[in-house]
Amino acid sequence: MTPTRSILFYTAAAALILIPGCKKSEERSASEKPAGTVLKVGIVTDVGGRGDQSFNDSALRGLELWAAGKKYTGTGYVDTTPAEVKATLPPDLAARTPPIEKLPGVTPLVLQSRAQEDYEPNLQLLADQGAGLIIGTGFMLENAIEAAAKRNPDSKFLLIDSPLLDAAGKPFTLPNVRTVVFKEEEGSFLVGAMAGLVSKDGRVGFVGGMEIPLIKKFEAGFKAGVRTTRPEATVLTAYTGSFNNVAAGKQVAQDLIAKGADVVFHAAGSDGLGVIQAVKDARAAGRQVYAIGVDSDQSHVAPDAVLTSMVKRVDLAVYETVRDLAAGRFTAGDAAWGLKEGGVTYAPVRIDFPQRAAVLEKVEDLRRQIIEGSIRVPATDADLASFKP
Amino acid sequence: MKRVFHGALPSLLSIALALAICFVALALSRSDVHLATDAYAQMIFGGVGDFPSFTESGRWGVLTRPWGESTSRAALLLLTGLSVAVAFSVGLFNIGAQGQMTVGALLAAVVGAHVSLPAGIHPLVGLLCAALAGAAYGSIAAVLKVRRGVHEVISTIMLNWIAVNLIENWLVTGPLRAHSEGTVSIAGTDQILPTAELPRLLSDGSRIHLGFPIAVLIALALWAWLSRLRHGFETRAVGLGPEAARTAGIPVERRIYQAMALSGALAGLAGGVLVLGTEFRFPAVLGAPYGFDGIAIALIGQNHPIGVAVSALFFGILRAGGTRMQLLGVHKSFPELIQGLALLFVAARYVWRKLLSGRAARPSPRSSEVQRA
Repeated sequence: MTPTRSILFYTAAAALILIPGCKKSEERSASEKPAGTVLKVGIVTDVGGRGDQSFNDSALRGLELWAAGKKYTGTGYVDTTPAEVKATLPPDLAARTPPIEKLPGVTPLVLQSRAQEDYEPNLQLLADQGAGLIIGTGFMLENAIEAAAKRNPDSKFLLIDSPLLDAAGKPFTLPNVRTVVFKEEEGSFLVGAMAGLVSKDGRVGFVGGMEIPLIKKFEAGFKAGVRTTRPEATVLTAYTGSFNNVAAGKQVAQDLIAKGADVVFHAAGSDGLGVIQAVKDARAAGRQVYAIGVDSDQSHVAPDAVLTSMVKRVDLAVYETVRDLAAGRFTAGDAAWGLKEGGVTYAPVRIDFPQRAAVLEKVEDLRRQIIEGSIRVPATDADLASFKP
Repeated sequence: MKRVFHGALPSLLSIALALAICFVALALSRSDVHLATDAYAQMIFGGVGDFPSFTESGRWGVLTRPWGESTSRAALLLLTGLSVAVAFSVGLFNIGAQGQMTVGALLAAVVGAHVSLPAGIHPLVGLLCAALAGAAYGSIAAVLKVRRGVHEVISTIMLNWIAVNLIENWLVTGPLRAHSEGTVSIAGTDQILPTAELPRLLSDGSRIHLGFPIAVLIALALWAWLSRLRHGFETRAVGLGPEAARTAGIPVERRIYQAMALSGALAGLAGGVLVLGTEFRFPAVLGAPYGFDGIAIALIGQNHPIGVAVSALFFGILRAGGTRMQLLGVHKSFPELIQGLALLFVAARYVWRKLLSGRAARPSPRSSEVQRA
């Protein structure tokens, strides 16, 4: 009987440790300092979460590093100096006016989602915590943002990558929700144009993730870009059917390279890391092949193999929305960010190839034409079919 | 009463030990006891209601919303846990609850979106279809087992992959993808009609819906069936010893078919509750692996319907509340860690029995089923 008693005793002891713990934090939260100038901004990531090297990390960078001036260390935040933050900005953003700098009082609240059904409760939790702005990263959060925004009319919301959609799939707006979508086709057009100029044999490849309209935008823009600079070139296309299967990306890319593609662009999330890996392997075997990354500057994944990356400025969209809110200028509604708005671009080209300067000059010239509106970049297969360079 | 307590003691102690170890680990890793106590307090607030914030602000929402999150998770864990427990009772180890749940969820989403019915019966029809789909899918494993002697662990694992690839990777991204305009992407299938939604018990105050009471009623019914009715008794007899049961004149094959169909139906129902209760469509990826969690819940609940209900509610609260720990910088997977440790300790029940020794060590028939499985 003694062991039974001792175990019960320890259980009771554990419970006694826990109970005063609860009390203590009750006192604490009751005596929390008044809000004052603190602006709580919450982010709910999609299931990709922190550390995906692209989409979610980009959104977190815009809030944590740029707006709040804090660096995440795995257990908490450390403050950074303005110079440190400035060093992380690519040249085009460093030169931006007004400059990207820390916004006083911004406090990030980050909730990662373990599964799809966490989105809505996570958004609601941030609203209950008094977040002034709540950001949802990814079109998968569309439903959840819609429900949370209707239930919390006093909180502001930012949805990235999708407008609000009703049950029939038609876009609509709410007075407290801003949405930002990107004209991925415009950025993809520029990297396509570059791929057409860099390719030796006139065969380039495109690897998509899931075959959904969002990824079709990348494909259409890329193909139009290739057609503009190299009308006779062939674009080999393949889809992996997923966004989280590195092996599938590698396999598909190896196939395209074997069929003769010498520049491969991917829009396939984590599968794309496999694409870059396949290009790296082919280079090691003596082939002159390049990869083009997506979302973030992926040059660091394979510095020799990555020609450039089609960058989506999720970080900038997040930062500017936080700044608007802090300045009392938050407006609801839908925005589409293309080259003109600085929402998409290509990452700095860090490797050398024949006629590098001429190629970059040509691509920059195309960028100007798109911004002026003299080139309209197709976003769907149908538009692509009627696209004439 | 005392017997019940002694039977449940290993599970209770396992959970307490898991909570204590995670507490110490958290306190040590941050060298901050206050942070650990705060994190646990946040978990309780997020799971059963934010009482401090309620007393401060008087807003009912902060109190009632956590109930919705806890119970909607608990309902899913309870149904998949019962699914595994029913299969255990006939001596089968159903790893396929995930696949059966996926099939059920899809059927519920299709019936919810594309069939017009009056509000009262639409959700019921949806749930019924989900259960039937799960039952049909679960029966495949039973047929393979009885006719061809294929071990159910192997067949259900493979059926899981078939369901996931067929439904998530093809149907939901292909033919059944939601309609949208132009270049806009929607995750998952078409939204279900408002008539098909499971009624919310507190309207807008919380997401608590009819799924949880339904799951609890099913748990009670299963308990009565297994312990009080002839078919339930025969099912358990088959689980304890098929040859002896056959000699006693029990139709063994029929009981296996029935139990696996019931097991699949419960898992399918979980899928239906997920879609009709909170998601309102088949999502792009079917959420957390509730089907696999069901195995853990069944083991911790010692395959007793009431035990499964208690452990499902507990871990539902833990999961829902665990999200709030992130506000203090605790990793998102912390609640799963607690659940995993608790399962590990439950699996080591021999040690508990030895420690508890004496009268408490009388082995119950249920625990021997688990060990055999």
